[in-house]
Amino acid sequence: MNTKKLTYMAMLTTISLIIFIVELRIPTLAPIPGMKLGLANIITVYAVYTLNVKKVGMIVFARILLGSMFSGNISALIYSISGAVLCLLGMLILRKMIGKEQLWLCSIFGAIFHNIGQTAAAVFVMKTTTVIAYLPFLLVSGCIAGLFTGLCATYIIRSERYTMRSEETSR
Amino acid sequence: MSRNKVLAITAAVIFLGAVIWCAVILLKPKSNIVNITQDGTLLYSLDLSREKDRTFTVEYKDRKNTIEIKDGRIRMLEAECPDHICVDTGWLEDVPIVCLPNRLVIDHADKTDTDAQTR
Amino acid sequence: MDRKSAVFTARLITYIVLIIMLIAQTSCGKDEKNNDVKKSDESFFAMDTYITVTAYGENSDEAVKAAENKITALEKLWSVTDQNSEVYAANHNGTAGLSDDTAELVRFALDMCDTTDGALDISLYPVLTAWGFTTDEHHVPTDAELAALLENVGYDRITLDGNTLTVPDGVQIDLGAVGKGYAGDLAVQELKANGITSALLDLGGNIQTIGTKPDGSTWKIGVRSPYGDGSFATVSVKDKAVITSGGYERYFEENGEVYWHILDPKTGKPAHSGLLSVTVIGDEGRLCDSLSTSLFVMGIDRAEQLWKERMDFDFIAVSEKGDIYITEGIKNDFELSESYKGLNVSVIK
Repeated sequence: MNTKKLTYMAMLTTISLIIFIVELRIPTLAPIPGMKLGLANIITVYAVYTLNVKKVGMIVFARILLGSMFSGNISALIYSISGAVLCLLGMLILRKMIGKEQLWLCSIFGAIFHNIGQTAAAVFVMKTTTVIAYLPFLLVSGCIAGLFTGLCATYIIRSERYTMRSEETSR
Repeated sequence: MSRNKVLAITAAVIFLGAVIWCAVILLKPKSNIVNITQDGTLLYSLDLSREKDRTFTVEYKDRKNTIEIKDGRIRMLEAECPDHICVDTGWLEDVPIVCLPNRLVIDHADKTDTDAQTR
Repeated sequence: MDRKSAVFTARLITYIVLIIMLIAQTSCGKDEKNNDVKKSDESFFAMDTYITVTAYGENSDEAVKAAENKITALEKLWSVTDQNSEVYAANHNGTAGLSDDTAELVRFALDMCDTTDGALDISLYPVLTAWGFTTDEHHVPTDAELAALLENVGYDRITLDGNTLTVPDGVQIDLGAVGKGYAGDLAVQELKANGITSALLDLGGNIQTIGTKPDGSTWKIGVRSPYGDGSFATVSVKDKAVITSGGYERYFEENGEVYWHILDPKTGKPAHSGLLSVTVIGDEGRLCDSLSTSLFVMGIDRAEQLWKERMDFDFIAVSEKGDIYITEGIKNDFELSESYKGLNVSVIK
């Protein structure tokens, strides 16, 4: 990994971390544990479509670890990690089937996988299936949030391609 | 049909399924019996229609959760945890009150569609 | 996004919105289930418990009121602590003239004491007081104390001649084990006299029903689990009384030992027959009420024997081991609750 790549990844991690921390300030819409917009995943989706598996994993897990430290909610780590693992696996498989233009679709599936992973971890930790009652609410909000973050990532990639192209032509 | 279309429809079906599932949970008749579970073990099974107004605490690894019962309703009054989502949930209505850090769940027991209970 | 996929997406979103609206529509309609039958209910405190009377029909307001008046009137006659009650008079003056309702209750109670071979004994009141169950100041009496108190226990020493009740000196009676059931019966009579054909009475967990629900379906009665507030099973009944006795109803703990309020008249100590609760289903509240207590004291074998002799009631019993016994007559109306499906149920034939 050369310095340029390293800097690039560090920058992505930082951006997603900043988004994550800014989002902490936004009050939650409904008092349901695990429900959030997940704006930091704009970077995740973007990374899934531009980088390889190893790099995506590094960015995401660095963000989650640092994020949980900064927010002081270490106990939520297990839910975020299990959600993220399932979400990444799903998206990395789906990115082969879904083109860049329909990346929002991949993002929705990512959110669905994330919610399932979270809930599975909660069932496992709490040793009760009661918490499954939250899954449908998480899925509804997750699909909407996933669509939103996916669209954001689409526009980033699109504008990036545009700037690259304009850079090439201007050269 | 293209693969994208199939996937898009799948996502739509999951979304609709979740909406229906939400509706089912919100419309399910609720019993007066409330179960308080910690770490998978049932601590209390309370009949709210017969409980006096009171508050009590449940501990988990030195962290306290204060539960309040008032006028036949129940809620988490205070919680020594970072997120306080369980407190924000308010009175127990449709979805269970969950304190993830302290592994505490307050939920309606399954509604048995009985007309009365002999005891 | 090309044009074709944009059209497809737009169509998909339209369908989603339409289906959600459809769901909202159907789910709102569900709540408005209108019942044409008039319903009246009244809750009040009497005979030491909460009582709820629910009746259906045109005349239900008056009927419920009449039933409530009847129960509060009976409480005044049967209370052990009210100085103006007939029971108090008999306990303190040795003899008392009784009203017809009280005389009938005492006659029935004495008959049940006999039938159950003393497993039910209405003269156990002084022992119950010694344990503090009547005042909530609990205390474990010594064996000597109990022996002295048991000297004065014995339903056979009580005589009822016409409407005159004679209670020997030192003996005290308490109609608590039968009274609520009989009060239920008389309240049912009151409701029926007012033309009610569908009603549910809940006398602190003693359930008595008239007819069926207004829609013709049976009443579903939950049977309280000895392990918590929930019901471990349901029985479907019509025109029946369903009454339960269990050690969990009233008890106290001392030195790690649990003492409950159902005493064995032979020993004066809490009855440990191997049962945790007994529910009796029958036509009359007074029969069910007296049997639920006495079967609890008798244990499963003697309960089974009595059932075979009489066959005019059914019962559900939960043993200390967690086994459930039900009699054949209610086999088809009995159903375990979801979370208790694992329990072992044996049918007594």
